[in-house]
Amino acid sequence: MKEAVRIQTEDFSQDEEIDALKGSSKRMGGIGTFLGCARDFSEGRDVEEISFDAYGSMALSEMQKLRSDAIEKYGLLDARIVHRIGTVRGGDNIVFIAAGAEHRVAALEACRWMIDELKQRVPIWKKEITPQGDSWVTPHP
Amino acid sequence: MIKVLFFGPIAAATGERETSAAFQPGLTLGGLRDTLAAQHPEAMRLATMMAVNGEHARDMTLQLADNSEVAFMAKFSGG
Repeated sequence: MKEAVRIQTEDFSQDEEIDALKGSSKRMGGIGTFLGCARDFSEGRDVEEISFDAYGSMALSEMQKLRSDAIEKYGLLDARIVHRIGTVRGGDNIVFIAAGAEHRVAALEACRWMIDELKQRVPIWKKEITPQGDSWVTPHP
Repeated sequence: MIKVLFFGPIAAATGERETSAAFQPGLTLGGLRDTLAAQHPEAMRLATMMAVNGEHARDMTLQLADNSEVAFMAKFSGG
């Protein structure tokens, strides 16, 4: 079984992550998921690739804390967070978050909270590679 | 010695991912930042986030221990 929180260069399978989440408890009645993927267009420019840099040890530690915080805050039965680093192209997966709870409201709210918090707390940076040159991304609200 | 880490846009601006700074008793996070800002003014203007030994640090008066690992980081853009 793969770890519930991971940073990896390779792609992930949403089905495998959801199966692992469901396998943790048969009391789970709702699962909320978020899939972040790479756009091939940004700020009026074509984007050929997106390159990620991370403070790896801190990013993993913050993601683990984030999962624990979400489980406690929303009373989740389980949660999973996977973030890719390295280089991805338009349409590729970047991040997957899944929250499992007894009921849908906690699952959906926790999922939204985790992706918002991840953007604030986890030291990962993305650089867009375009025909006009490379540029580090300024965070969106 | 203090280990100083740069990532993403700050590493691009400094041209290096890691450097070191001499430890002195009483050295604060803010003092280290000022020293680095003199060397890398453009890069340190981007440094809105800091971490000491892998934990978020916001108190610029925080006294650093010898052999600390300090990261100066631009606003995150993961996800």
